[in-house]
Amino acid sequence: MPLLLVGVNHRTAPLDVRERLSVSEAKLPEIVQSLTRLPGVNGASVISTCNRVEAIVSSQNEDSVEIVVDWMSERAGTARTELEKHLYLLRHGDVVKHLFRVASGLDSMIIGEPQIAGQVKSAFQSSQETGSLDSLLQQVYEQTLRVAKKVRTDTGIGEHPVSVPFAAVELAKKIFGNLAGLRVLLLGAGEMGELTAEHLAAQNVQQIFVANKTFERAVELARRFNGEAVQFSAFEDQLAQCDIVIASTAAPHFVIEPQQIKAAIGSRKRRNLFLIDLSVPRNIHPDIAQIDGAYLYNIDDLQHVADANLELRQQKAGEAEEIVIREVEMFRKRLVAQDAVPTIVELQERLEAIRTAELEKCLRKVGPITAEQRAAIEQLTTQMVNKILHYPILHLKESGDEPHERESLRRTIRRIFGISS
Amino acid sequence: MTISPNVTLYAALFFYAAGTLIAFASLFLKEKQLGMGLGSMIAGFVLHTVWIGTICTKTGHPPITNLPEALSFVAWTIFLIVLILFFRYRVHAASFFVYPLVLLLLTITAVVREPFAPRNDALRSHIFTAHLLLTTLGVASLMIGLAFGVLAFLQDRSLKSKRPGRLWQWIPSLNVCKVVSYRALAIGFSIYTLGLLAGVMWSYRTTAELMELRTKQIGAVVAWVLFAALLQAYIQGMYRNRRTMFISAGAFVATVVAMLGIHHG
Repeated sequence: MPLLLVGVNHRTAPLDVRERLSVSEAKLPEIVQSLTRLPGVNGASVISTCNRVEAIVSSQNEDSVEIVVDWMSERAGTARTELEKHLYLLRHGDVVKHLFRVASGLDSMIIGEPQIAGQVKSAFQSSQETGSLDSLLQQVYEQTLRVAKKVRTDTGIGEHPVSVPFAAVELAKKIFGNLAGLRVLLLGAGEMGELTAEHLAAQNVQQIFVANKTFERAVELARRFNGEAVQFSAFEDQLAQCDIVIASTAAPHFVIEPQQIKAAIGSRKRRNLFLIDLSVPRNIHPDIAQIDGAYLYNIDDLQHVADANLELRQQKAGEAEEIVIREVEMFRKRLVAQDAVPTIVELQERLEAIRTAELEKCLRKVGPITAEQRAAIEQLTTQMVNKILHYPILHLKESGDEPHERESLRRTIRRIFGISS
Repeated sequence: MTISPNVTLYAALFFYAAGTLIAFASLFLKEKQLGMGLGSMIAGFVLHTVWIGTICTKTGHPPITNLPEALSFVAWTIFLIVLILFFRYRVHAASFFVYPLVLLLLTITAVVREPFAPRNDALRSHIFTAHLLLTTLGVASLMIGLAFGVLAFLQDRSLKSKRPGRLWQWIPSLNVCKVVSYRALAIGFSIYTLGLLAGVMWSYRTTAELMELRTKQIGAVVAWVLFAALLQAYIQGMYRNRRTMFISAGAFVATVVAMLGIHHG
């Protein structure tokens, strides 16, 4: 049964094309059902994220690909010839490999990004709920999710953050371990600082204090993080209480000086202090990095950590690709073997029937024999049948990826052994 | 009577050696190999436990009456603590320090042959048994404290240098290293102190002297002083500096000297 995939992604299609094809989560069941209703389609699913829209179908024959392309161009409201410039078409084993790679984050804009596995899972669940998955697609999806999990577990590809705010959170974890219960001071209302504070808030920090030159803005931000606004002139008092300080002001000079940090660390009973300077020009004096117990990272340092992590992810991607190739081959073998089961069973039944009939005929001619003698003849004939069947069964189980090749082999074997089609 | 190294001990050594090699190879290979290294070490640990059990059954007293036994027991205790810490904190980096140490200690056990002490009055003394058990447990805990102290130092240097390396990924957070190291040192020091006091009492009872000035006694006292200094440095939050590292190295050497002194008197 052919497996087909038609789609566009961030590499093949510009945003406006992807926008026209994209499907919201609420509309997904309806769209999947309309795809399933197309002639020749047995099962269908649609993956729609900001970087890709893909229709996956299992169909009775390969001609269905034309129908699916028509369906997509109709959905996009674009002429077929125009849409075809951006489309990619995959068949059989390539579909499986593609899905394994997509769900593992290997085909993402940021390699190893973790959200995609969840998005593929949602697509799977949506199709399942609408009854649009046939047994082949069901198996493909289940295996896809298993492979995605294996890739993440075995390679750790998603463990290393590649954005500056996430790199800051990772560093905070390297210093403090669990971030729950820590206090954060956000100085200024710069966009990057806000984003970093947002990521830290997601780690269940105990309290976020916000200090800004414009107090109203500090109040507004503090409300967003369920935190507390403090006067900018009084932020120094918070240094001794807070574990993480994020500076993101527009001040053209240093806002935090070494003596302030020395005093803060002294009164913190030498507990560590993590300072994140996201401002340009810098707001935190670089000499603070020399103070025992103070860890200072500026925007370049964080970018360096993010870049190093990206490099690490690229290394891990090589290992992940190896896993995907192995898994595709294993899955292909499983499907082919599964596909061959009815023919194998019929073949065994056919030869067993011949063996039994011929054996009975022979025994009638020979006359009475002992039970041991009969058992020996039974064993001999059974072994002969098994030997005869060995290679046909082996070829049926290991036939090629193309469905028409497998079908042709099945027909030939059936014809040779006289099994009715 | 001599407790000869037997097949069980050699098999334990083999698995410990394999685990150590795999752990070091993991620095250059895939991360998941560390799991294999740990698996091999656990297999070694099981065999090691069987070997210790055999000694106890044969001799009828704790396996700490001579150098090979004591080293083997220290190695066993260290690995047990590390195993507990692994399941609590998922700390792989400790393997780079602890696995070779366990391997080294058990190798000495296999190489040094020494008659075990017969069932004499001294071994039947509760004070002497307490001295042996407490000092051995204390030393194991102090070694863990030192290992995590080194990890805290490396993590601190790495965070300060702002250049994350491969090892950096495996070392637990600075806070975890610090807490584990401090707790292991504090607990180990208390147990070790009690062990030494028990030893002094036993010495006074048997020889009417508080202490003989032999290698193991001097080594033990020097180690105690250095561990006290180390603990003081930790309390003051000075686990990061070089001086603390030198004290740690000195404490380690003194402990090794004290243990080797069990053999040479």
